Amino acid sequence: MLDQAAQAAVAGLKEAGIDFVSGLPDGWQRNLHELVENDPDFTYVPVCNEGVGFSVCAGAWLGGAKTALIMENSGLRVASEYIARIGLGTGVPVTLLLSYRGDVGETEHWGIPHGIVVEPLLDALRVPYLVVRETGRLRQAIKRAQRISEAQLHPAAVLVSGDCVWED
Amino acid sequence: MAVDRYEMLEHLAARVPGDALVMATYIGAVSFEWAAITDEHPRTAHLGQMGDVIGLAVGLALALPHRRVVCLDGDGSLLMELGQLVVMGQEQPKNLTVMVVDNECYESIGWGPDGRRPTATARRADLAALAAAAGVPDTATVESLEDLDRELDAAFADGGCRLIDVKTAPGASRVAPRQTDGFEDKYRFVRYVEKVEGRRIMRLAEQDRQLMSETRHH
Repeated sequence: MLDQAAQAAVAGLKEAGIDFVSGLPDGWQRNLHELVENDPDFTYVPVCNEGVGFSVCAGAWLGGAKTALIMENSGLRVASEYIARIGLGTGVPVTLLLSYRGDVGETEHWGIPHGIVVEPLLDALRVPYLVVRETGRLRQAIKRAQRISEAQLHPAAVLVSGDCVWED
Repeated sequence: MAVDRYEMLEHLAARVPGDALVMATYIGAVSFEWAAITDEHPRTAHLGQMGDVIGLAVGLALALPHRRVVCLDGDGSLLMELGQLVVMGQEQPKNLTVMVVDNECYESIGWGPDGRRPTATARRADLAALAAAAGVPDTATVESLEDLDRELDAAFADGGCRLIDVKTAPGASRVAPRQTDGFEDKYRFVRYVEKVEGRRIMRLAEQDRQLMSETRHH
């Protein structure tokens, strides 16, 4: 994502009280992962599978951490097994920050399936979400997603696209 | 050689530190028997399911690095998501002991005319070797209660990040299934952690709390 958007995301995570972040870097949010990893305000746990990342975040919440999982929207499909088991079967809040690959403006053919699946899948998992296409809305959206996540004890998501990732 | 599962759990219960937290499976013989042996002590989170038990335990151990975390997983569950070993080996929480109750079969689905349905550990998969290759510092496979006791004593005396693959005999649960779901178990465990850690984890009414605070100030 653009540097300004990555900085806005970090500000949103901090203002939301999030102190534990897991995830699998992707092309759009790579710089956000780097900012979080190098920021002492966060415990950062990189994973090679978004489902494991969700489990780690859920476990950290049980111990008192406020958690976020940062990933490409393709990773939601991988994590969905554990969101269903832990989220729908137990009720644990994790804020999900997803690249919206396949959104209008996409340049890569491989991103199209990710865009087709992500919103119906979030609905199926009963995960409320905001789509953010303006950098100026990103910080607030993360805070709002985190708030409802805690109130409903279930994940909430922010999908990132548009002006946050393209200078066109 | 394989140990009796119920006796193995009794040995663990006798040795686990009083202030430890336990991440156990949601359902299944291990969960039911562990709950019976420990009299449903709330320090156990019966929240792990196929493929996520060690992941949950790693997160819990990282969030509470001063408190020992014991994880009770099964071979079928761990085999479903071996990536959990990668993150355990990567982070190496010094306060995490994972015990895999490895009966080399899918116990909870029952037995058919051909007997039990084997997992990959009945064939060639070696969970302790996989864990070691993933970076878990201390690993062992044990096939007797004496070896188990030695591993547990070392784990609880020295701390460290350890995975113990316990070869156990298959067999149905000796006790009845638990009658709670994941939501009740979650609330019970989190309220216990809140109590022993002296901190609030669930925040279900922040605005109301703030309004009350403002009212008091006026």
